[in-house]
Amino acid sequence: MENNAFKDENQHHQTFEPFVCCVCLDLLYKPIVLSCGHISCFWCVHKSMNGVRESHCPICRHPYCHFPTICQKLHFLLLKMYPDAYKNREKQTLEEERNMGCFSPQFNVYTHGSHVSDHSGIMPNCTITNQVSNSSSIEPLECLEQTGSAIHKGDEDTTIYSEHTSNETPEVFGTTSDEGKKLFHNEHNQQQKILIEDVMCTFCKQLLFHPVVLNCGHVYCDTCIINLAEEMLKCPVCQSPHPSGSPKVCLVLDHFLEEQFPAEYAQRRDAIQQSNLKAKPETTSCSLHNGKGEKITNPRLEVHTGVGCDFCGVYPITGDRYNCLDCKEVIGFDLCGDCYKIRSKLPGRFNQQHTPEHQFQRVQYLHAVRSLLREQNSLENFLIIAQDTMMANEEDDQNDSEAGT
Amino acid sequence: MIDFARVQKELVECSKDAEGSGIKVSPKTDNLVLLIGTIPGPLGTPYEGGVFHIDITLPDGYPFEPPKMQFATKVWHPNISSQSGAICLDILKDQWSPALTLKTALLSVQALLSAPQPDDPQDAVVAQQYLKDYQTFVSTARYWTESFAKASSCGIEDKVQKLVEMGFPEAQVRSILEAVGGDENLALERLL
Repeated sequence: MENNAFKDENQHHQTFEPFVCCVCLDLLYKPIVLSCGHISCFWCVHKSMNGVRESHCPICRHPYCHFPTICQKLHFLLLKMYPDAYKNREKQTLEEERNMGCFSPQFNVYTHGSHVSDHSGIMPNCTITNQVSNSSSIEPLECLEQTGSAIHKGDEDTTIYSEHTSNETPEVFGTTSDEGKKLFHNEHNQQQKILIEDVMCTFCKQLLFHPVVLNCGHVYCDTCIINLAEEMLKCPVCQSPHPSGSPKVCLVLDHFLEEQFPAEYAQRRDAIQQSNLKAKPETTSCSLHNGKGEKITNPRLEVHTGVGCDFCGVYPITGDRYNCLDCKEVIGFDLCGDCYKIRSKLPGRFNQQHTPEHQFQRVQYLHAVRSLLREQNSLENFLIIAQDTMMANEEDDQNDSEAGT
Repeated sequence: MIDFARVQKELVECSKDAEGSGIKVSPKTDNLVLLIGTIPGPLGTPYEGGVFHIDITLPDGYPFEPPKMQFATKVWHPNISSQSGAICLDILKDQWSPALTLKTALLSVQALLSAPQPDDPQDAVVAQQYLKDYQTFVSTARYWTESFAKASSCGIEDKVQKLVEMGFPEAQVRSILEAVGGDENLALERLL
């Protein structure tokens, strides 16, 4: 294990600032943007979440209850910026996932292709629906191979770029190894490779300005979202609800855009100021002192410890819970009461091969207790555990209320 | 499973800035589960001049669970057990966040040395003393720093020996040295 760590270290001459995950301290992989605007990797967010009550952002401790979906825009941006390092991260994560027997959502070639190729006719939302329908019918392993080839394709693209510009650079690098040369070119070509199309608002189709990421992983300018004043914010593309109030600007991405596209960014800022749309200054501030968080889990409802909803992402599920009887994955497929009524057609959040034909079973709290019992295989053990958890919960609740005052 | 890649990165990061912050983390064993942290006593406190060692044990869930930290150096502080070295600090318990690192946690421990919280004590005796007799607290804390946290900390024993050789009774020498915070000259004045 440590050997690996040492090896990794050598590979990481590159600095990935500002796209370093605050949890694993490595390049972000399958990034998730929380409603407070802070970014972390898929697994880092999931492992940081609290299985019993609401979770808190690792950086600003902003409370949240919903496990957000991966931000694909950022995912492909990072893949484009650091193809080698990102590929390494994928390999590494896949190995861990195989050991866990539980996989993160896989993205296929098509989505990636649309970003690199010149098929400007393919809108991002088309590729998303494609991704959804495809991934639900592909076996996990095939899917993994596909992603592998997706990256490979990405590599070819970068090689093309390298060749393209190698005409301009004299043969100073004749002595360096091919790999080093490629790395150099990757970094060297960063600015040419990242196009405005890669960082466009899905709504206004312009360069993102003060980007916010919704719970579904789609990215918009915050002004585009403010205009859609509704009771519950809904994603204009996928119609998924955004349950956490107004999302905060993702500052890391915002600063990156300002640096990467100074002229376009200034243009966007001026345009927005002129149109008298207030780019609310407080949205750029840290959410630390903003008391308005998500609704805190009602302690009276049954908490399904460690089980999240695969549609809206609420974690843990409180109250009614519906468990899919046909999904064979270890992690299972569950919906909360509200999402069960909607009958989502999305695949699971952990690459479960769920289809709308699958049957559900309502899991009552007692049922959950019984299944736990079966695992424990002993009534006594269970009772002790139940008592302990109840006491712990009570204590924690007290602590919480004390902390609140 | 501990994220060893991250621990490795943390160690590298910490060693880069060891000069500036004075905070060091080094592995105790080969497996990176047991580590030793070192923090300098903050200036302007009774801990100034001391170098404190902290035993660190990484739990299986690190960094999603807080590292276990305990003073290996004896220290006189309301929030640190004078017996076991256990630390009462919220970020090492329920306020831990995976975005914190060993270095930031040690920085917080260092900050705790500068800002004791006697209302939330780990060591009731020290906390009582801190609240009721602050001067004695300061001198005891300084004496402990002098005795246990100085690298060249044969210091106190040397001083005791010197004064005893001058003909003072050892018990008296020790108690007075403790009362003046280990200052040899002050102790001599008192003894005379």
